[in-house]
Amino acid sequence: MFKYTLKRLLAGVITVWFIATATFVAMHAVPGDPLLNDKAVTPEIRRNLEEKYGLDKPVFTQYLIYMGNMLQGDFGISFTQQNRRVNDIIRDHFPVSAMLGLLAIFFATAGGIVWGALTATYRNRAPDVVIMFLVILGISVPSFVFAALGQLLLVNINSWVGYSLIPVAGWGTIRHMLMPALVLGLGTMALLTRLMRSTMLDIVNADYIRTAKAKGLSPLRIFFRHQLRNAILPVVTILGPQIAAITTGGFVVELVFAIPGLGRYFVQAVQQLDYTVIMGTTVFYGAFLVLMVITVDIIYGYIDPRVQLE
Amino acid sequence: MSDIVLDVKNLRVEFDTYGGIVKAVRGVSFSVPRGQTLAIVGESGCGKSVTVQAIMGLIPMPPGRITSGSAKLNGQEMLGLSPKEANQFRGVEIGMIFQDPMTSLNPTMTIGDQIAETLIVHRGYTKKASAKIAVDLLDKTKIPEAAKRARQYPFEFSGGMLQRSMIAMSLACNPTVLIADEPTTALDVTIQAEILELMLELKRTEGMSIILITHDLAVVARVADDVAVMYAGQIIESGSVDQIFYESAHPYTMGLKEAMPTNKPNEERKLMPISGSPPDLFHPPAGCGYFARCPHAMDICESNQPSGFRIAADHYASCWLHHELAPEVDALHLVGDQ
Ligand SMILES: Nc1ncnc2c1ncn2[C@@H]1O[C@H](COP(=O)(O)OP(=O)(O)O)[C@@H](O)[C@H]1O
Ligand code: SF4
Ligand SMILES: [Mg+2]
Repeated sequence: MFKYTLKRLLAGVITVWFIATATFVAMHAVPGDPLLNDKAVTPEIRRNLEEKYGLDKPVFTQYLIYMGNMLQGDFGISFTQQNRRVNDIIRDHFPVSAMLGLLAIFFATAGGIVWGALTATYRNRAPDVVIMFLVILGISVPSFVFAALGQLLLVNINSWVGYSLIPVAGWGTIRHMLMPALVLGLGTMALLTRLMRSTMLDIVNADYIRTAKAKGLSPLRIFFRHQLRNAILPVVTILGPQIAAITTGGFVVELVFAIPGLGRYFVQAVQQLDYTVIMGTTVFYGAFLVLMVITVDIIYGYIDPRVQLE
Repeated sequence: MSDIVLDVKNLRVEFDTYGGIVKAVRGVSFSVPRGQTLAIVGESGCGKSVTVQAIMGLIPMPPGRITSGSAKLNGQEMLGLSPKEANQFRGVEIGMIFQDPMTSLNPTMTIGDQIAETLIVHRGYTKKASAKIAVDLLDKTKIPEAAKRARQYPFEFSGGMLQRSMIAMSLACNPTVLIADEPTTALDVTIQAEILELMLELKRTEGMSIILITHDLAVVARVADDVAVMYAGQIIESGSVDQIFYESAHPYTMGLKEAMPTNKPNEERKLMPISGSPPDLFHPPAGCGYFARCPHAMDICESNQPSGFRIAADHYASCWLHHELAPEVDALHLVGDQ
């Protein structure tokens, strides 16, 4: 297990290095010089930046400086926000995105497991048909549509109750988080429901379920002890990539719900061609996702005894 | 002698499929005496598994349906029970093991836990007490280092060891009857022999009855006391193992014997697989199911079901050749010489 973890971590570091390099190359391949951009670079910032990055030096030297800074955990200074370090931007806004993402993953997983188990149990009957129709909607409709619908729903609920029961936008309390997290997790929830349903249906016909019946176990015990546990395994496997999907989807939801998360800053940075912020947040997100995927894999190793030997 | 543990009468099972209704089991009757081994033998697809699964309440309904029959365990009816009622005897009075031990155990539960579960559910033992008995049971089925093995998962076991664990699991509550559905078919030949040996030994020490399902006559010869030969959803001959082997009274049983490889090296004999294939169970024939393949078929066989003719005490065969008007039965014994 230890060796396996170490191997995965090493592979993770290489992946992050690759992401950092690719980001660097991409930024330098974009036509135009960031400092010639007339948008917002004051002579003062320009001097700071030239000093910091040696922009007059050859590209490879710049790359070495960039990697060196990154190794020390320094993502540099914003091009557009005077004296604001990228590290500060991440520190201030990442916890908000992480909280939102975590809650979304929680909704998605809990919902996926419950709905999936339900549809499999009521296969081809009303609950199954209705939920599977909603699942198709959940997978195919983009999240900004759900975000708008969610807000509309909240407006109606609030006006019906007579006060702001659940805020339509903004951030701060758990009540602010509910709707955006639900909207953000919806696509993943739909996907997990479908996956859970199909593995549950496979397992219903598995030989070991027949054995469990022949042992004289109650249907309830068979469902929880033998079916559910084995059906959840594939769900956990795709959780890693799904965390990535949720984080990327977070950009849109943060904008619509006016949530001060990192995603919003990322989009803003792209719009304003704030190179250091783009590079810093990209690499940071990349590293975070790689870490999440590895964590999920290691957790998987604990719940599925068969992978321990790898 | 006539201490019957399990008595099955006129069992019929059908399945609804897209192609129509499959009449998988068509009026099967047999009985199992205490402490004896009944082998049910027949080609694959003839309804052996469906028969025992119907008794155990394991037929998926739908698409399955038990249309008639009764199965009495010590006088108590087992068909048509709710899961709760059926669980009074499943795993308690009747244990069952299956063909593929690799897939018949829960992959994410330790072997020990899977055995202990039966004891916790049926006997109300604590986790600790049941875990200890699980180790004893593994010991009984001759699994080395049982204590360590109990903590392992199915993927860490070989096929033979898994089948031993399945046996240990089915024995947990000292069942009266053990049903083994092709328990050695998926295993290597040497392992097969070991598992059969183990079952025979346990039958002696535990005093249970065994229903052994197989398509292999060599297995039957080795372990059975009584034999029921199945064909196209019916039992076409039944009797003691000696009667079935030395006084075969049904052309199909003869054919099966011809198709059996001999293990005597000096005896030069050609393998004679039965030509043709079993009838379509969507439209079972009106007469004898073996009609299309039978070398002795007569006019009467085509549209009239032969009933069970009594050949000797406890020896029955469903074949018109045993009718008093039929030509001499001697013809039967010539089959092997052609
Ligand atoms: N769930 C099912 N649905 C439809 N047909 C089935 C089902 N289970 C068994 N059958 C049919 O019943 C017949 C007998 O099968 P089975 O008892 O498994 O044969 P075997 O003698 O090899 O154990 C076969 O023709 C099979 O196709
Ligand atoms: S009843 Fe007729 S067809 Fe059937 S086995 Fe006997 S002789 Fe052959
Ligand atoms: Mg079978």
